[in-house]
Parts: sequence; structure tokens; C-alpha cells
Amino acid sequence: MLMTEQNTQISSMSMSWTTLAVIVVIGIFSLFSLWMGFQALSSDKPEQSTYYLLTGTVGFSAIGYMFFRTKAVTTRKPDIPKVDVVTILECPACELKRVRDFKRGDYIYKDDEPCTRCEANMVITGIHRRAEPEKKPKK
Amino acid sequence: MINVILQVAQVLGGENSDIGMILQTLFSLSFIIYLFYAQRIQAMTMLRQVEVTLRKVKTIKDEGRRVAIEMVKEVGKPERDPTPDVDRFLEQFVISPVSMDPAGIMGKLDQLINVSDYTNEAEVKAIAPQATETEAHNIENLLGAAHALNYYYKAIRHFYLLGKKTMNVYIIMQIHMILPLIMKEIEATSAAIQAFRNGMPIGDGVGPLVVSKLMRGHESVDVARETVAAWVPYEGRTLILLKAKGPGGSVGKPGDGVAKILGDDKKEKKIKAVIMIDAAGKLEGEPVGEIAEGFGAAIGGVGVEKYKIEEAVKARNIPMYAIAIKQDISHVIAPLVEELYKATDTALESVKRIVTERTQEGDYVLVAGIGNTMGIAQ
Ligand SMILES: [Zn+2]
Repeated sequence: MLMTEQNTQISSMSMSWTTLAVIVVIGIFSLFSLWMGFQALSSDKPEQSTYYLLTGTVGFSAIGYMFFRTKAVTTRKPDIPKVDVVTILECPACELKRVRDFKRGDYIYKDDEPCTRCEANMVITGIHRRAEPEKKPKK
Repeated sequence: MINVILQVAQVLGGENSDIGMILQTLFSLSFIIYLFYAQRIQAMTMLRQVEVTLRKVKTIKDEGRRVAIEMVKEVGKPERDPTPDVDRFLEQFVISPVSMDPAGIMGKLDQLINVSDYTNEAEVKAIAPQATETEAHNIENLLGAAHALNYYYKAIRHFYLLGKKTMNVYIIMQIHMILPLIMKEIEATSAAIQAFRNGMPIGDGVGPLVVSKLMRGHESVDVARETVAAWVPYEGRTLILLKAKGPGGSVGKPGDGVAKILGDDKKEKKIKAVIMIDAAGKLEGEPVGEIAEGFGAAIGGVGVEKYKIEEAVKARNIPMYAIAIKQDISHVIAPLVEELYKATDTALESVKRIVTERTQEGDYVLVAGIGNTMGIAQ
């Protein structure tokens, strides 16, 4: 109930058929004026070509602007970050150190699984995010 | 299609000068239109950017709500659907006390916070009866994050709809200007969903983590609500270590804890210094995990706990040292990054150095690790 009410309040602004129609109309108009511009350029009145060419260029840049704008809306998927988290285990008896993926219920100083080398239980000594290599140089 | 256009063009091109005039007029007209409607066009552009953000925020807050409900169902195993309870929680509000006559406001705030804490704890127990204490605390934290996301969403939506209705550039500008900063906070909160759901240590947990390293292996006692303390000998001194009780997500009541410990010491006067360790916001350009030392009560929040600590320390007239572990706002409630994890060792060295340099043998030193202890036991 909460959701439907919110959905109706934000009307859609992404690529609709009206936008598409406007783009097509402007496109035809711009193409035509560009063509006229080149015609005029080679004719006996070259000074007229400036307006045609300018109009055509402006038209095309408007199309480009509209297109990228709508594209930005539709292709940009909201990202909810999910990070890799690791758990560091240490054996208090033989000092064996092990790193594994974080499991739900892990916490620092929890007595965890038995050590693989001796009889003692390993203790979680650290939990942190796995370093992301791509983000390193950003500092 | 193109042939048709070319034919039309040829026909029109016949009357070359007429078409030229029309185009010229249209072109001039568009300039005049822009002259008068520039602000409106600008408003529409900004409104559109706000809308894009609003969509993103909606997805994030829906995810927060979904995860919260899912976690309550999964660990709490309630008999009935918890959705209405979660939705009710997301709309919860706290009215801050009147501050025109500020005397006594701390007591009012404290009471208000206690009431909401106890009520929420009881409510979480009711909607998630099977959850352990740790899980219940994590659910509380998760609901808190979902609540914050819901609030951000509603605030942005308010300005967006108001702007759309009035098309007033100044109303739209208000939200548009602060959008990057709000977005940073929202992204930080969205990172908390994963951490709170799984009970992972977060960036704010560096303070308790430093203290827990000293506390490890020593018996601790409850000194205040969700707050524990341990008496640990170190280099001839006795460290009184204080942190929130883990591993459930909680910040405890460090103010009450410090006040109680200093109060109990009123006659003997053995405590000679207070050291507080807390996460602190870094400025852009500062490295993550940098340690800074200073003076004063290193604690954030509404200010009630800070007030209690300052009052208690002032009554005893002892020095208060602060250790700040610098981090970005995006780290505070997100799963602990490695830099911060490593910084806790550096901070621990700072604590030890301050203790040996600034106190005498035989002294008692109160060391308080401030922050959310989620995923960190003692
Ligand atoms: Zn072992």
C-alpha cells in the first residue's frame, strides 16, 4: 500500500514515445536544414548557408543531449554495495593463522572451529573487508 | 523515407529565400525563448537530476526495508507477519525537547533516549521472539538504518514534489545543492545494511576494538546499560577498560559508565587520567586510519553521554586525553576496512604510550572505547 502510493507520485520521465517522436521531428528538421545549408553554400547565395548550418547543428546537439539524458536514467542501475568480508582465525596453542570468508554469526574473540594442526579451538582475532585492488591507487 | 525527405526538400528548396527567412525567424525566436525561459529550463534540468537521485534512494530504502523484514522473519521466527510492525517502526519519530530555556535539557534528552531505547528493545523482542540478545541488537541497528533511509527518501521526495508543483528554481536549488552530500550519507547508510544484517564489525567499532584487545582474557563486569568494564594491570598501573557490551550492535551508555566508575572512586581518588578512543570524521585528503591525539571527550552522538563524561571528569579535575581514528563518513557504518583494522594496533600503541608517559606507577587510568561494538566481543 505504501509502495503504490509512492510509485504514482513520481511520474515517469524516461524515454517515452513522445520523447521519441520529438527526437524524430527535430532530427528530420535538422537534417533538412543541414542539407539546405550545403545547397546554399554551393549556390550563388553562400551567406544564407550560415543559418541553415547553425540550425542543423543545434538540432543535432539537442538530440544528442536528450538521448544521453534518457539513457543515463534508464541504464543507471542503483548499486547497493556488497563487499567481501574475511575472518582471521588464530590458534592460541600453535599460532596457526587462517583466513576465510566471513560467516554470519562470526565475531571478534569468538571460539570457533577446531584447529587443523592441533587439538585446540581457533579464535577469531580479526574481521575486515577484503582489500579491493582497483580502489587502492585512489587514496 | 530519405527519398521522400529529399523530394520535399527539393520542392521547398525552390523557394530558397522564403525558407531561409522562416528558419532565420525560428532561430531568432529560440534565442528569445531561451532569454525568458532560461531559468525554467535550468529548473527542469535540476529537477531531473533530483528525480534520478530520488529513484536511486527509493531502491535503496526499499532494499533496507526488505532486508529488515527478512531478517526479522529469519532469526526472530515471529508467529505473525512482521511487515506492519516494521513499517510502523520506519515511521517512528522522536520530538526533541524545547531548547529556548536550555537549563535541564540534558536530563530531558537522556530520559527521552532511554524511553525510546527501552521501548524499541521491547518491541524488537516482541516481533522477533526467537532472536538471541546479539541478534536482537543487530535487528535494532538494522531497523535504525532502514529508518534513516526512509527519512532521507521522504525528505528528498518532499523537495522534489514541492519543486515540481511550484517550478520555483529556489526550492529546487535547495535540495539540488546538497544532493551530493546527502547521497554520500545515503550510500554510507546503505552499506550498513549488509553489516548490520550479518553482525559484522563496522568502522565505528574501532574504539571498542582497541579496548577489547586490552580486555581480552580478563573478567568484565556490567557497569551501565549494555556497558562493561574490566580492571587490567599494565606496567604497574591499573587500566579500567570500558566498552559497550558485544558482540551485539550497541554503543552502550559510556556516559553512565564513566560517571559510575569515577563516582565510586570519589573517596580513594586513584584514577589519575581518562583516555577516550573514538572514530572521527576525516577531511578529504587525510588518509583512512590516521591516528590523532588530543584532549577532551572523544564521543559523538546527541551530546548527552558527552555531557555526563565531561561533568564527571570536571568534578574530579583529572586530565582527559582523546585518541581519534580518522575515517570517511562512508566507513563509519560500513563493514570494517583493512586500513582501519590495522589502525587499531597503532591506536593501541598510542594508548600504551600515553599511559606510560603521562601517569605514574600505581595510578589507575580509565580507558574508554567509544563506538558501536557490533561483531566485537570482549
Ligand atoms: Zn593449533
